[in-house]
Amino acid sequence: MPVAVGPYGQTQPSCFDRVKMGFMMGFAVGMAAGAMFGTFSCLRIGMRGRELMGGVGKTMMQSGGTFGTFMAIGMGIRC
Amino acid sequence: AAAAVAAAAAEEEAKYKMEEYAREPCPWRIVDDCGGAFTMGAIGGGIFQAVKGFRNSPSGMSHRMRGSLTAIKTRAPQLGGSFAVWGGLFSMIDCGLVKVRGKEDPWNSITSGAMTGAVLAARNGPVAMVGSAAMGGILLALIEGAGILLTRFASSQFPTAPQYAEEPAPAGMPPPSFGDYRQYQ
Repeated sequence: MPVAVGPYGQTQPSCFDRVKMGFMMGFAVGMAAGAMFGTFSCLRIGMRGRELMGGVGKTMMQSGGTFGTFMAIGMGIRC
Repeated sequence: AAAAVAAAAAEEEAKYKMEEYAREPCPWRIVDDCGGAFTMGAIGGGIFQAVKGFRNSPSGMSHRMRGSLTAIKTRAPQLGGSFAVWGGLFSMIDCGLVKVRGKEDPWNSITSGAMTGAVLAARNGPVAMVGSAAMGGILLALIEGAGILLTRFASSQFPTAPQYAEEPAPAGMPPPSFGDYRQYQ
């Protein structure tokens, strides 16, 4: 894909760049959301200490991946 | 699972926010969001269900392929439908808030995320409504924050980018009937 130059001399990000940016942003949002909701749900099922850290980390990675994938698709379908 | 759907739908709604230039004007935004959300849910659901169906099938390549296809065919349209419901309702409330408040800012989408969560959980009782509303609001707030950060980062990268001039309305078109609202943020 050729690099499109916008009307103001500023290079527009390519489609793949936007998908990548969408994934990064979705991953960040998903990590933050996973940290919050994962902490709640792991505390509720009775995890404490080191186990809690592992549980929260797993939830964060999972929700980050899910969010990132969906956000990347969302960027991809409209560029 | 429903919570995950709502979460993902909420987040995908707000992705439009971070590129305001790509957003439709208000009444048509509902259609745009609804269709975009359906597409996104169907594609994303297809990807995830393909993996899930593959892993949950009995061993043997043909079984796994068939299981994967079955999972995609049954579940991906469902996920797209829930995304579309979320997106459509979210945009409707968003546009209503734009009209009522007369401005467009991050609070609109946070509020509409919370209200969408509440409305969609209405049949599960007040406690579920509050929980779902909190989840929607928090998610939309996160996304709005990320969008604001991204905008700030992008504008600090290109400090000399000129502001886009107000485009003159094309002749022969009626003025937008949706009132004027300004874009804050």
